[in-house]
Amino acid sequence: MRKKTLSVLLTALMVASMAAGCGKDSGGAGGSSENDGELKGDITFWHSFTQGGRMDVIQEAAEKFMDENPDVNITIETFSWGDFYTKWTTGLASGNVPDMSTALPGHVVEMMDAEAVIPVDDVIDDIGRDRFAEAALSEGERDGECYSLPLYSHAQVMWYRKDLLEEANLEVPETWEEFAEAAKTLTKDGVYGCSFPCGSGDLMATRFLNFYVRSGGGSLLTDDLKADLTSDIAIEGINYWLDIYENCSPKDSVNYAVLDQANLYYQGKTAFDFNSGFHISGVETNSPDLVDSIDCAPLPRLKKDDPIYGAETSNIPMVIWSKSEHPEICKAFIETLYEEETYTDFLAATPVGMLPSITGISDTEKYQSNEIVQKFSNAEQVISEAVELSAAIGFEHGPSVEAGLLTSQSIIEEMFQDIITNGTDVEKAAKAAEEKMNEVFESVQ
Amino acid sequence: MKTKKIDYGRWLLVLPALIVVGTLLVYPIFSSLYYSLTTKHLIKATYDFIGFDNYIKVLTDPDFFKAFLTSILWTVASLLGQIVVGFTAALALNRVNHLKGVYRILMIIPWAFPSIVIALAWKWILNGVSGFLPNLLYEMGVASELPQFLSDSSLVFGTLIFINIWFGAPMIMVNVLSALQTIPQDQYEAAQIDGASKLQQFMYITVPHIKVVVGLLVVLRTIWVFNNFDIIYLITGGGPANATTTVPIYAYNMGWGTKLLGRSSAVTVLLLAFLLIVCFIYFKIIGKWEKEDK
Amino acid sequence: MSGKLKGKLGNVVCHLYLIILSVIAAFPLLWVLLCSVKSSGDLTSNPTSILPKEFTLGHFKNVIDTLGFTRNIGNSLIIAFFTTVIAIAISSLAAYGIVRFFPKFGNIMSRALVTTYMFPPILLAIPYTLVMAKLGLTNTRVGLVIVYLSFSVPYAVWMLIGFFKTVPIGIEEAARVDGANKMVTFVRIVLPLVAPGIVATAIYTFINAWNEFLYSLILINSTELMTVSVALRSLQGAEILDWGSMMAASTLVVIPSVVFFMFIQKYIAGGMTEGSVK
Repeated sequence: MRKKTLSVLLTALMVASMAAGCGKDSGGAGGSSENDGELKGDITFWHSFTQGGRMDVIQEAAEKFMDENPDVNITIETFSWGDFYTKWTTGLASGNVPDMSTALPGHVVEMMDAEAVIPVDDVIDDIGRDRFAEAALSEGERDGECYSLPLYSHAQVMWYRKDLLEEANLEVPETWEEFAEAAKTLTKDGVYGCSFPCGSGDLMATRFLNFYVRSGGGSLLTDDLKADLTSDIAIEGINYWLDIYENCSPKDSVNYAVLDQANLYYQGKTAFDFNSGFHISGVETNSPDLVDSIDCAPLPRLKKDDPIYGAETSNIPMVIWSKSEHPEICKAFIETLYEEETYTDFLAATPVGMLPSITGISDTEKYQSNEIVQKFSNAEQVISEAVELSAAIGFEHGPSVEAGLLTSQSIIEEMFQDIITNGTDVEKAAKAAEEKMNEVFESVQ
Repeated sequence: MKTKKIDYGRWLLVLPALIVVGTLLVYPIFSSLYYSLTTKHLIKATYDFIGFDNYIKVLTDPDFFKAFLTSILWTVASLLGQIVVGFTAALALNRVNHLKGVYRILMIIPWAFPSIVIALAWKWILNGVSGFLPNLLYEMGVASELPQFLSDSSLVFGTLIFINIWFGAPMIMVNVLSALQTIPQDQYEAAQIDGASKLQQFMYITVPHIKVVVGLLVVLRTIWVFNNFDIIYLITGGGPANATTTVPIYAYNMGWGTKLLGRSSAVTVLLLAFLLIVCFIYFKIIGKWEKEDK
Repeated sequence: MSGKLKGKLGNVVCHLYLIILSVIAAFPLLWVLLCSVKSSGDLTSNPTSILPKEFTLGHFKNVIDTLGFTRNIGNSLIIAFFTTVIAIAISSLAAYGIVRFFPKFGNIMSRALVTTYMFPPILLAIPYTLVMAKLGLTNTRVGLVIVYLSFSVPYAVWMLIGFFKTVPIGIEEAARVDGANKMVTFVRIVLPLVAPGIVATAIYTFINAWNEFLYSLILINSTELMTVSVALRSLQGAEILDWGSMMAASTLVVIPSVVFFMFIQKYIAGGMTEGSVK
């Protein structure tokens, strides 16, 4: 008798939770709070905020969620960005993936291709579809369904050292030519003008080359999604960065990944760098004295009268994995992360580094009361503008596997290494890299 | 009756090891062989059987041969260095009477380093901007600018080999030393009475006693160094410009980077085939030594 | 007289050689230790100064308090310990069996074992992940111990065969004449004789398990269960490239290991046939 009651109850619960999970028209924002107590199960959440404030905020949000839903258990695992690709690809092969995770924009297309993630349109609708930037949502869109939603956004801009520029009587460079000149002038006394990173296992050289190519209106991909490293602008870009490497960069940078590169700027060893607002907290932690001397400006242009452009925006996505037995819990939990209080706290962990992916946050009093946000209001504006002007590398032709492969295979990095260490002819190396890239593209067809 | 009992007993001794090997190694061997004939992709659900296509693709890829050559150089140079340093250190240690324990503890230290710490420690010491050694050489005037041990293509391979010798020599040393101490001292005493020189004692007592153990060490180190992935991967990742890409790194990039698991399997099967041949030759030599001993 | 002088000179040369090797061998450890207590600014602005300008334990505090690194050390110790114990138990039996009772077939068996050792770890990674997932052992310490046996056992058997072969059969026969059975002979006579070899093999097994990187990277997801290698590696890929903390974490990983060696190294050097031959 008792057993029967229990099973009836369980069935009812399941039906109810499924309805809550799937029903798009279940009544808007109240989604999670209405279903409190109905959620039951364990989920695993992988994220890559390995330390500091972001990790704490997420942890607190999970604890709060578990308090409100006593039958829910959220296990949080962290991993470094560099390991994430190996983790989920091998995990997928062995059925060992989480219920929900953060991801990199370039990975989402591959995840969709592998049918590893599920649509999250109902979550987006609950939070408010019009609060997200359309471009950001489209990065995870396929056949009219969204498979990812952005957690936060940032964009690449040019960082410089005000004090060094002043000392040398230099203006903030606006064109690539001015930039090279300034970088060369500032390369002295143990300071490098600008480090050019091209370590394999990261996408830094691709990123830098993409800046240049985008500044000339070009793309690293052709319209039919083939690699394009031999266009005039690409060759010009390669030569440009080789010149920077030769004259303003520590020679070790041929092995640099993102952190090695950023670290030099944090320590005041480079005068210029390219990054997002994350540079602020990096400098603040490593060299508090330098915080007052840094600022950022839009990426250099080809010609002075060219319009300001954006070359790379990262909307860090969240996904829910197909394997998950409790997508409804993931969805309800994700929604709580976007609640004003939690979301603002989360962003405040790296102010200006993480910019809100939804509207209605940046103008709140709480968000604006952050000291760093106030101090770096110029930077925030520059980056916010850049965020709107671009997309992930290679996404100018829409999200594609090819765009993901452009950055994940280190082919452009190896091309630079080949030219630098073996003295290979630039056009030859570009041609070879282009062929190699196209071969990789074919392998996923 | 009695002989039968002993028969079972002897099988019982080796059974656990056979089970471990059977389940943990035989299955993966066959699954890899099978995948090497398919288009198996790391994250795609379906794959096709394509015969020897993967092998043809690999064997016509100049990068594979470059990696193969790098592997051979890496193995031979590291191994020679490890043996020379490890062996001479063991002999020296066996000879001195004072401070033996101190030397042994100090020299064994590298062996206590996990590969990730090897990588971090050396990357930091050799760091091209804030590293101890480049800055020291620069300040001493030995180098006119900071030497880039891990990014200058003329230095990086040698640097990695040095690190590998640094790491591997202690292991050889400990094992040789342990073998040296199994030699009964009375043989040396007898030889001395017979008027044999130190060199003769070394050649006719020391070498025959330890050559089998050393031979085995060489076999195992060859395999280990040839297959080693961590050290290179964690320090240079195979770069710059593939200057330090060995076959395992090549296979890893193929399997996890390009995600062509089938082709990556083909690479590792070829790697295995090569090791089998090398070890077959080694075993011939060691087998001959063992016969000589008897 | 000249012989003695030559001997002395030889000793000096040996000492010099050993001193040089010791310095090279120990320097990275020393440097890691020193850098773990230097301030971040000191690390980058004074790359060649040996002693820290200002002594700080901040990096250790960060590594232990914020990152919970001691937990990772515990994981690695547990995993390496069980791998070693199981591998050595299985392997000494097998090695002894092969040496004594399988004169012909034993050669084939031992070669088969070494052949398996040749298998590139990278190749095994995928099948292992699949098998462990099927068994529900992914992300468990047990799973990792099992996988570690795959490379520990063949190596240990192989190495131990070399040591068991050095035991003269005459000793065993003498024991058997004295009335001891096979098991007693093995435990009482043979094992003590090869004890130094077993210790050397055990150390090797332990260190290999302790050092292992690839499988623990792929099989362990949870921060709670991460081994030191993977935890350290994620430190390198973390959000700030903090060399001080990396050196502090490295110190924590390497020190127990070095201490363990100091404690155990005298067994390696113990004479193998000491006592029984004389």
